[in-house]
Amino acid sequence: MLNVIEPGPLLTIQDAGRPGLGRLGVPPSGACDSWGLAVANLLVDAPAGAAALEVTFGGCTLEAIETCVVGLGGADLGAERDDGRPLLRGTAHRVPAGARIRFTGPERGLRAYVALAGGIAVVASMGSASTYAPGRLGFADGRALRAGDRLSPRRPGDLDAVGSVWPVRLAPHPADTCGPLGIVTGPDPDAAPDRALEALVAAAWRVSTSSDRMGLRLDGPSLGPGNEIVSHPLLPGAVQLPPDGRPIVMLVDGPTIGGYPVLGVVPAADLPRLGQLRPGDEVRFTPLDAEAGRAQSRRQRELLDRAAATLRADAIWLRLADRAGG
Amino acid sequence: MAEPAPRGPVRIDRFGEAALLIVLGDRVDVAVNDRVHRLAALLGIRAADMAGLGAPVPAYASVLLPFDPLVLDEAAVRDMIAAALDTAGGSGMPAHCADVVSVPVRYGGPDGPDLAEVAARTGHSEADVVRLHAAVEYRVFCVGFVPGFPYLGLVPEELALPRRATPRLRVPAGSVAIAGRQTGIYPADTPGGWHLIGRTDLPVWDPGREPPARLVPGARVRFVPV
Repeated sequence: MLNVIEPGPLLTIQDAGRPGLGRLGVPPSGACDSWGLAVANLLVDAPAGAAALEVTFGGCTLEAIETCVVGLGGADLGAERDDGRPLLRGTAHRVPAGARIRFTGPERGLRAYVALAGGIAVVASMGSASTYAPGRLGFADGRALRAGDRLSPRRPGDLDAVGSVWPVRLAPHPADTCGPLGIVTGPDPDAAPDRALEALVAAAWRVSTSSDRMGLRLDGPSLGPGNEIVSHPLLPGAVQLPPDGRPIVMLVDGPTIGGYPVLGVVPAADLPRLGQLRPGDEVRFTPLDAEAGRAQSRRQRELLDRAAATLRADAIWLRLADRAGG
Repeated sequence: MAEPAPRGPVRIDRFGEAALLIVLGDRVDVAVNDRVHRLAALLGIRAADMAGLGAPVPAYASVLLPFDPLVLDEAAVRDMIAAALDTAGGSGMPAHCADVVSVPVRYGGPDGPDLAEVAARTGHSEADVVRLHAAVEYRVFCVGFVPGFPYLGLVPEELALPRRATPRLRVPAGSVAIAGRQTGIYPADTPGGWHLIGRTDLPVWDPGREPPARLVPGARVRFVPV
């Protein structure tokens, strides 16, 4: 069991989200970086989409009330033990009763995931444990975690996973690859100013400080005001053009309907990268056709499956070594 | 004889690599919106028994249909949509909603910080803006943006204004707002780009209730100044 000592700027419980409720205005929510969530969970033998902690930026301290195993995925937020020894991401660590985990601040990326054996035990609301404040959904009516909140693993006392290491060379985090984000054109480029899409792709953008789990606002040259459109549905990854001409990229808590033209949509395989961008980071886009976007998703799924299989095989060796007293 | 259902040209646009946007019209119109909800209901039934098909999201004049491209071909989804369009004829809403919901509103002052600006920009007095906004019976065209937010129309032409150039980062829950020919009620504190003219205490979203959204597509709404 973990106790929250300091939540930092935003500490929430997130899982694979609650897709399929857009007709009620409910966004998918879930981990901003689904890859980081999967890594943390698979390390402690939890389902890839199980509930875990999403730590934002840093300044977060957690304490083990009972000895437990934690899987760390997502960004490198400078996680360390009480004595200052680093806790590597992509690894399952044993945290003895009374010991603390501190996230000192981002070395790279924005969001880290802390998983417990079998997943964190939370009651689901509307099919998911994900926290979404505007809908009052998730733990404690959708509020962020604060000091004193306690989180239990679904499988208490299970330390089997300690020592598991994510095969990072086989399956590196999508955010560790450089290069521009893909964008699949449509559906509203005609409602945008002439050549807005070309200008979007040509420019270097900076993530604005007023970005959050709803969307990334991008600073850069104005692309000119888009025409108002009849509001239509939105999904995470949609790049909207508001009247000030500065694009907004929708994230997992973003609006389900919007009235600004959508120039294009960042494909699913690049969403984990979006979730790790922090204010000031540079962003570039490159046009991508839909089939290429699907191929990326397929490849990402294969890598995740192979890494998970490798972890399972490693776990068998770890247990055998344990029994041999080694 | 029943009024013929609108059968205008339908556009199916890509929305990324994993969704299609079915556009049934280019304006806010009751008959088009009826057709949107009939199509969404039909696609929802298909989604329940077709692996890889996501739940449809209806808006004013379009339906978004997500799918898992690792399970389903885009071509197969397009075929399925074409078949659904053929059977989504008829007229009216799939489930008719007869009640009229009264929404008590405190207009202007701190509850409606944009009322004066709306009055100035539309060339009316504040009292006229309130009278015009409260004079109409609205219909819920769709629910979205945030949970339970009802998109209502049509606001009288005299009050139609484009959205604010830069959205506010925080609009208080219960705010009643207008943009173009639309009006809506913010169910929670969220960002928002509409003009805030008043505020209501009527809760429009409660996740503990069934249905959680107080106002559903097809419902009729009246604003009552208090």
